[in-house]
Amino acid sequence: MSDVTGTIFNIQRYSIDDGPGIRTTVFVKGCPLRCPWCSNPESQSVAPQVLHRYTSCVKCGACAAACPNGAIAFTAEGGPAFDRAKCVACGECVRACLNDALKISGEVMTVEKVWKTVRKDEVYYETSGGGVTCSGGEILGQADFVAELFKKCRENGIHTCADTSGFGTAEALDKVLEYTDLVYFDLKHMDDARHRELMGVPRDVIVRNLETVAARGIPVTIRVPLIPEYNSGEENLRATAELVRAVAPNATVSVLPYHKYGASKYASVGMVYALDELRENTPEELERARAIFEEYGLKCEVSK
Amino acid sequence: MVNKQEIKSVQVLTPRLQKLKTDWENAAPQVYVDDSILFTQSWKETEGLPIDIRWAKALEKRLLECPLLIRDGELIVGSLTKFIRGNGTLCAMKPREILKMVESGKFDRKTSDISSTNIDAADLEALRADAEYWIEHMPKVSSVNASVEFDMGDDVFDLLFDRGMVFEGRGVRYEMDRGLFQNYSSYGGGVAQVSVKCVENGLNYVIDLCKRERERMLAEGDENSHGTAQFLRKYWLLKATIISCEAFIGYARRHAELARELAATESDPVRKAELLRIADACERVPAEPPRDFFEALQCVRLYHLVCWKESSDRPEVPIGRLDQLLYPYYERDKAAGKITAQEAAELLGALWLKIRECENLVTIPREQRAAPGSLLPNITLCGTDEQGNDLTNEVSWLVLEAMAQIKLSEPAIYVRYNPDMDAQFVLHALECNREFGGGNPAFLSDKLGTQRYLDRGIPLKDACNWNASGCLGYHLDSLEHMGGGHNISQLKVLELALHDGFDPRTQKQLGPHTGDVREFTSFEQVLEAYYKQLAYFVPILRKFKLLSWSTEIAEGPMSGLRVAMQYEDCIPAGLASREGGARYPEGRACWLGSRGLVDLADTMTAIKKLVFDEKKTTMAELMDACEKDWEGYETLHKLCINSPKYGNDDDYADEIYDEMSKKVPEIMQSEVDPLTGKKPMLFIGAAAGHVGIGKAIGALPNGRAAGSPTCDAACSVSPGCDVTGPTAAINSATNDLYAKEYAGYAMNMKFSKSLLNTPEKIEKLSWLVKAFMKRGGWHIQFNIHSREELLDAQAHPEEHKNLLVRVGGYSAYFIDLPPGLQAEIVNRTMHEII
Repeated sequence: MSDVTGTIFNIQRYSIDDGPGIRTTVFVKGCPLRCPWCSNPESQSVAPQVLHRYTSCVKCGACAAACPNGAIAFTAEGGPAFDRAKCVACGECVRACLNDALKISGEVMTVEKVWKTVRKDEVYYETSGGGVTCSGGEILGQADFVAELFKKCRENGIHTCADTSGFGTAEALDKVLEYTDLVYFDLKHMDDARHRELMGVPRDVIVRNLETVAARGIPVTIRVPLIPEYNSGEENLRATAELVRAVAPNATVSVLPYHKYGASKYASVGMVYALDELRENTPEELERARAIFEEYGLKCEVSK
Repeated sequence: MVNKQEIKSVQVLTPRLQKLKTDWENAAPQVYVDDSILFTQSWKETEGLPIDIRWAKALEKRLLECPLLIRDGELIVGSLTKFIRGNGTLCAMKPREILKMVESGKFDRKTSDISSTNIDAADLEALRADAEYWIEHMPKVSSVNASVEFDMGDDVFDLLFDRGMVFEGRGVRYEMDRGLFQNYSSYGGGVAQVSVKCVENGLNYVIDLCKRERERMLAEGDENSHGTAQFLRKYWLLKATIISCEAFIGYARRHAELARELAATESDPVRKAELLRIADACERVPAEPPRDFFEALQCVRLYHLVCWKESSDRPEVPIGRLDQLLYPYYERDKAAGKITAQEAAELLGALWLKIRECENLVTIPREQRAAPGSLLPNITLCGTDEQGNDLTNEVSWLVLEAMAQIKLSEPAIYVRYNPDMDAQFVLHALECNREFGGGNPAFLSDKLGTQRYLDRGIPLKDACNWNASGCLGYHLDSLEHMGGGHNISQLKVLELALHDGFDPRTQKQLGPHTGDVREFTSFEQVLEAYYKQLAYFVPILRKFKLLSWSTEIAEGPMSGLRVAMQYEDCIPAGLASREGGARYPEGRACWLGSRGLVDLADTMTAIKKLVFDEKKTTMAELMDACEKDWEGYETLHKLCINSPKYGNDDDYADEIYDEMSKKVPEIMQSEVDPLTGKKPMLFIGAAAGHVGIGKAIGALPNGRAAGSPTCDAACSVSPGCDVTGPTAAINSATNDLYAKEYAGYAMNMKFSKSLLNTPEKIEKLSWLVKAFMKRGGWHIQFNIHSREELLDAQAHPEEHKNLLVRVGGYSAYFIDLPPGLQAEIVNRTMHEII
């Protein structure tokens, strides 16, 4: 087994939303996109980070005292303030905290180490028709790691699912697809300018990569997060449906309702959630989205 | 082929059942005294007669003279008391404790640890007089305590549940009020269960057998027991059985008469016909075999009720394999167009309401109660036959649907799971669980349950006929005597091992000297000290059990009905099931319980890792910290909390759990049970007892705070320690066939509704169950609700009257549970999407 490593921020077992059957989802850290609705803000930076859970913090100052890099400024009223530029995620503050208010998100792990965890649930994959999903972050940013892990899975008869934003190099995509049984592919916006504005990256790379996936004949599920006022307009949905019909007509489209579950995590990594005021989807809106995709002859489901 | 649409479309709570349910919910609990007074009257009338006759006559008196009623709209009849929520009791069983209740005016009931029970002024005085009569006529000394002291000395009392708490179980107490029946440790004379064979053949058949056997004995003696004490006993025992059976038939016929009287004055022709149907049924059963589904169901109700009445102070009457019992009648009626799924569902709902109506008073001190909130009328579904065919049928489907719709805490349902059963049925069971919320049904491994009996040499035709009973137990229908558990609290033994045999709470040297752990230089020494302590206590418990059992046999209580329930074996033997009349001795007095395995393993893991492997602390410092309940040792406390824990698929922790899981039963079973000549059956249920046990135990190196509850069930993960999800927890629990030796090896899991909100997710949960069983699991159950809902119920109980939760081997209304248990359930790990 190779010593290829990835930076992982979570390995979720009994994962039931990321592909068929019971799965283990390996979340890699680091993503080139900056979607404002991102529900895993800790997945954006590739470097390990300290997460600070304010609700558990008793503002004792033990973390600041333990930090060897002077990265934590502490006041009795405000509690700890993290200077993310100075922090090297050494973990001293985590060990000093008696209240479980701190943890490190992100660990550099070898494929071997991840595999050790993944293989523990083989009986569940086998019983349920499940397998392993790699998600993120953006998996194409760590293609060598993902490909190596998937290869190992395939050698052991475990189904693999690649959950991607679609943004990455053709070379990275090829590496991963070599060992991928199913692709979860996000489509967020069809207007390139708007895509750049919201996500910070161009749309065309994503479309080209979708074509590659489709050309290889790998089953694909298109995931469309339906964000009110951002991409939920009819025009965008029709453009999305047209693209899918043209490129991957057999794909299932999965509409993901907008939720704010990740909002509370922003503060813990020193970020600000910009969509606090945004409403959730109305049931009609979700239904209408589904109707549009079906109008284009596509299989479509609204995720719950 | 089961028509799923038809099952799903039934309406169990028809307007009439809804009204009966609402009446029950709104009724105030009431103390019921009539049976107690009748029992006493009978006992006075039968002075001088053989003991078996006296018990049978006391049952007869109650059955033939107790108040009777049929409520408006009832389809299935047979009420325990004259109140909607009557709580029965018998002064003869525990007069001093009843008198205490009379004097305090506070009557606790078994099904709620929160609210007390009303009593009419006249009943209060009658109960007082009854209790005083029995106190006056009761032996002044407990025969169990006297026998134990005579044979073992009085030091052993320091170990009992109400003293040092090394031993645990309601019968293992010094201060218990032992009444006419002195040893009620074993389910008040052993579980009496609705006997399928009795239902199918009718009690006239059993009476006839008894009569013929008596005549034969008079004519030619008994080849096995000529002129012996057993022969003479048998003569009376058979008479007692006849009296009990005839009384039971008489009780049913009283219902028939009452139904006819009501029918005579009933103006509504529909209701009139119903009443006449009830009259016909009660005229027929239990004397003769039921002719249809309705009569079979009515018969089950009457059996449940009469077994209940004949069960001293703690009636735990399993209903058994209800789907198997009812299906032949259902199938026949349905084919003949006599019944629809809808009609059957309503009747099942009517049965549910009658079962739930049964309540009784509880006198055991609150902290020592097991299974609070429940009376354990378990129902078992499915299973396989001798050829391995799955026995799931349409009644199995209907029972689950009835349970989900009627939403009553009892009866608890157990599904005997086998991998070949209809996957659609498993989905149905999980959907019903989601509707119900509180862990019904639980899943038991069909294969393992049968295998445990096969391993003990019991032939397959009988081994496959097992059902759930008690809290997390199980036994063979009509083939063995189910005694109660005598348990060892592993954590108390551990605490003693950590203190050289000294108990910090009672300040007594309870165990042998096994060395000062502060001086230990290796982990093996800690293990060794623990094993020595355990090995010291096991023979003492075994002996205690033998002696208390001997007093029970001497008293020979409540035998007649129990002989009838196991007539095939007990009649020829001339012995009640508990006396050796049962076909197999397996369950007889031979459950040795062991509680606290998870905390034990986690504690050993923390010691090994922090003291001996990583040397982050010393035994001395760790012991100081535990003695101070972690105060001033917060950093060390955190290290202990974060040390590897069982349930996370962590090899370091699981290896130690593995060692404990094998070594503990090895010690517990190192000698045969003298009552059976076989190795004792082991019981490891911990749920509900775990709050009380935890109170007697100080802080432990696994990070546990002094006095907090122990882990909730045998293989559940300690609350808050399960951080890697359900598959990891299952893996830890099934790394080896741990469940093979242990009854009660249960896994409690708590899921949020969001993990079950689509058919796909329910299907995924069904695969989790499948994998659990495939890996050798025994018992798994799911609580499905949100933490917020539970917290809100603690704050506003009045708004959550119907919130059901799974506790251990049963479900209960959350608001009826004692606060410590409520808190523990809130803290169980919730699997949810984060």
